[in-house]
Formats: sequence, C-alpha cells, structure tokens
Amino acid sequence: MKSLKVITQIAASAMLLFAAAQPALAAQDPTGSKQTTYPGLSSDALEKFGGEAGVHNWVQALFYYILLDNRINKIFVEHGNIERQIALNTQLEQMVLGGAVQYQGASMSAAHADLGITLTQFNAVVEAAYNACERVNTPYSVCNQLIAALAPFERSIVTR
Amino acid sequence: MKGLIGVNRYLPSCAALLAVSAALFSGGAWADLYNDGKVLATGGVSMTDGAGGGGITPWATITGYGTRDGINGDVHYTYVNLPNYALNSIGAAVGLWDRVELSYTNDVLTTGSTFNTVGLLTSTVGLPTGIAPWNTTIKMDVFGAKVRVFGEAIYDSDNLIPQVAIGGFYKINHNRALLKTLQASKSKDWEAYIAATKIFFPINTLVNVTLRYTAANETGLTGFGGPKGNKREIRPEVSLAYLLNKGTAIGVEYQKHGGNLEGQSVDLNGLVVPGDLLGSLTQHESDWYDAFIAFFPSKNLSITMAYAMLGNITLTPNQSGYYISLQASF
Repeated sequence: MKSLKVITQIAASAMLLFAAAQPALAAQDPTGSKQTTYPGLSSDALEKFGGEAGVHNWVQALFYYILLDNRINKIFVEHGNIERQIALNTQLEQMVLGGAVQYQGASMSAAHADLGITLTQFNAVVEAAYNACERVNTPYSVCNQLIAALAPFERSIVTR
Repeated sequence: MKGLIGVNRYLPSCAALLAVSAALFSGGAWADLYNDGKVLATGGVSMTDGAGGGGITPWATITGYGTRDGINGDVHYTYVNLPNYALNSIGAAVGLWDRVELSYTNDVLTTGSTFNTVGLLTSTVGLPTGIAPWNTTIKMDVFGAKVRVFGEAIYDSDNLIPQVAIGGFYKINHNRALLKTLQASKSKDWEAYIAATKIFFPINTLVNVTLRYTAANETGLTGFGGPKGNKREIRPEVSLAYLLNKGTAIGVEYQKHGGNLEGQSVDLNGLVVPGDLLGSLTQHESDWYDAFIAFFPSKNLSITMAYAMLGNITLTPNQSGYYISLQASF
C-alpha cells in the first residue's frame, strides 16, 4: 500500500501548507501606501496610468460601466453618492499604485461590511475595471498593475 | 461495435445523473444554482484527460465560470493531429461552487503507419495482437474528480500562496489486446495529482505546477505499467501562460512521462519479437511539450490552438503536430 502512503503524505503536506497560509488570509485594507504585491508593481505604474488625471479618467470610466451593469448598479446607487465614490476611488487607486496621495475614505471592510457582496458581484466590478482600461486606452499590462494592487481587497469586500 | 458497448456500460450511471439533475433543477432551483460569475478566461480550458487546466496538465482551478456562489459546466472537443496518430477527445465537466470538479472524457486514438505494418503482418499469420491492418483504434474512458483545498489563484496578489487542489483520474483503456502486445501491465488504473496555480498580475503571467502520481504510458493510451509491473511514480508537469489581453493567453507546457515500456519490444501473442531484429519495433516514450494560444471570445466559448511536441510514442519517433480544442461553457 505504498500508493496510500504517498497520498497520505501529499494530503498531509497540503494541510501543512494550508495551516501556514492562514495568517496571510486576513482581510486586506488600505495601508496608506503602495500595495505590496508579488512580484512588486512597476515603479512607473502610476505614471503609465496617466498620473492623477489618467486615474481619474479611469475611475470615471469604471463607474460608467458599473452603472450600466444591471448585475451590480443597484448596489452602488443605493449605497452612497457616486461623485464621492469617484473622488475617493481616484485617491485610493493613486495611493495603491505608489502615488503620494492619502486615501480619506473608510476602510474596505468598514465600507462594505453590511452590503453582503458576493464574489460574483466583485468579479463583475473587475470586468468593469478591464472595460474601463480599454475605454481610456490603458494597455492591458498596465491595467494589470492596478488589478494586482486592488485584488487583495477582495478579502475585505466579499463577505458572503 | 466495441465503442458502442463501452458507451452502453455507462448509460445507467448517466441516466441516474440526469435524473438527479432533473430533480435538482426543477422548480426554479436552477436559476439559483447556475452561476457564470468568474472573470473571462479564469476558468481555464479543458485538458486532454477532461479536467480544467491547460492543454495537457490539470490545474488547481475548478473548470467553468461558476464562482463559490453556484455551479457551471462545460463540454469540450479536442483534436490532435500527429504524423502517425490522431487523438479525438470529447467530454464534459462540471464545477460545483468553485470547490469540486467532476469530469468525464472519451479519448479515441487512431494509429497508422508502423501499426498498419504490424497489423498486416500479424493478421496474415492470425495472431490476436489488438492491432488491425488498418485504423487500429485505442479508446479510453477517463473519469476525473478534483477538490480545491486552499489558496486563491487570482486575487491574493499580496502573497505567494498558490491555489492548491488535489484530484484524480480513473482511466479505462478498452484495447486490452493491444496493451498486451505492447507489454503494459494494466489496462485500467487510477492516477492522483496535486496542482498549484497562481496568477502574477504585475507580470501578466499564470504559473501552474502539478505533481501526478501515476504509472501511465502515454497518459494511459498505451496502458499502465510495463513488464516489470505497475509501479506508480510522481511525475511533474508545468504550465506557463502569458496573458496578452483579457481574452487571449499564450504559453508553454511540459509533462514528464515514464519509462515503463522504454526499450521494450512487442509481445506477439507470447512471442516477444527482439526489437533490434525488426528495428522499428522497439518502444520509447518521451516527455511531452506544447506551445499554445488560447482565445476566449466569450464566457461560452474558448478556442485553444497548440503545437504539441510529443517525441517518441511507442514504436514511432518525432510525433509533433497540431492541437485544437474547443470548449463551450454553460
């Protein structure tokens, strides 16, 4: 029964890895500085995104697609002022890309705690994010710098 | 007719599955269960054993576009055209709450050239080798299951922990006479694997490493084990995919193969023909490589094209050729 032994070993190593992974799976909130990713974001990510103006354009495009998406638009309309969300997101996105900008909004967990956001809804926003990059002619590889910077917030935003 | 008998054997279980599905999905439950909420392309494609993954390697991702909020499935057809073989793989798979994946695939491998010669020779003298003078066919049923264990391949960009899944296949090769001729020790066997997948968005790259515990020869198409028995071993597989845009990926894959039949000749009904006597009757097995491009025009369709470099396959060298795979998700 050598095969059984190997499977047991594989399962045991998987569980060990899982245990080791636990501390890293805590909710992710904005830390007031550039997002840490593996590998790291390119140093000129914000510049390639077009600086503050470029990020602002992207956020406007993002909300354009979000508000057109019948799967998710109600959540955004019912919970908060769209103009304010655009302003706060422009701060947040610059900050996570490494800009010297302070995000003044609530933490991701606090802002989404009561909304019961599903992963399906979160993914719909990611699709809107890619559409927004195309809309403002930000190349896919530059867009992925921002996707990488925002992705860990999934753990704070998705609560169901 | 052999193929039809093979299909008939699974009809009762298929019927049972359909009945369960019907019970489950009646009364509007389907609307709540169905989910296609994954981001485009993140469901991967269907590998030749039917599991979600790359072209030849199972990944830790669960097939289809269902998130943890529901279920989703897909069907696939894959055609590989090699100088002396053609592989047709057709199957279906379902992903349950992005946690469990179940798959079934029917692989049909048709052979030519050297097999025709051997078949012509042996059928002339009346030896039952499983090799026909023309169009010798190998049919294999592959049942697969996979469970996502931990990790998040896509969103945890702030750590290096991959998404990890464990899975297995049960493969039933129906050309037992041919496998005996090739000296494989078994025609039915299971394989187990552990897969780790991670997307690195800052470099637009997906990395997958899989370790498969198996005794398969040519993924089981030429059976399992050899004259020395059916000893399983751990063989690594790697997929690297570079994301060109949200609906296109290019990449390469590697799959380690075993040497159960390496240097063996063929056993013609008890008579083991010395390989060097007939030169081309010595078997070899090479590791597999492929380079692919996958298109995801919508969540309902993916098209994967690849150049597969499979090296020596049993009696025939230099088996490189084109691979095309269509997957429809629903």
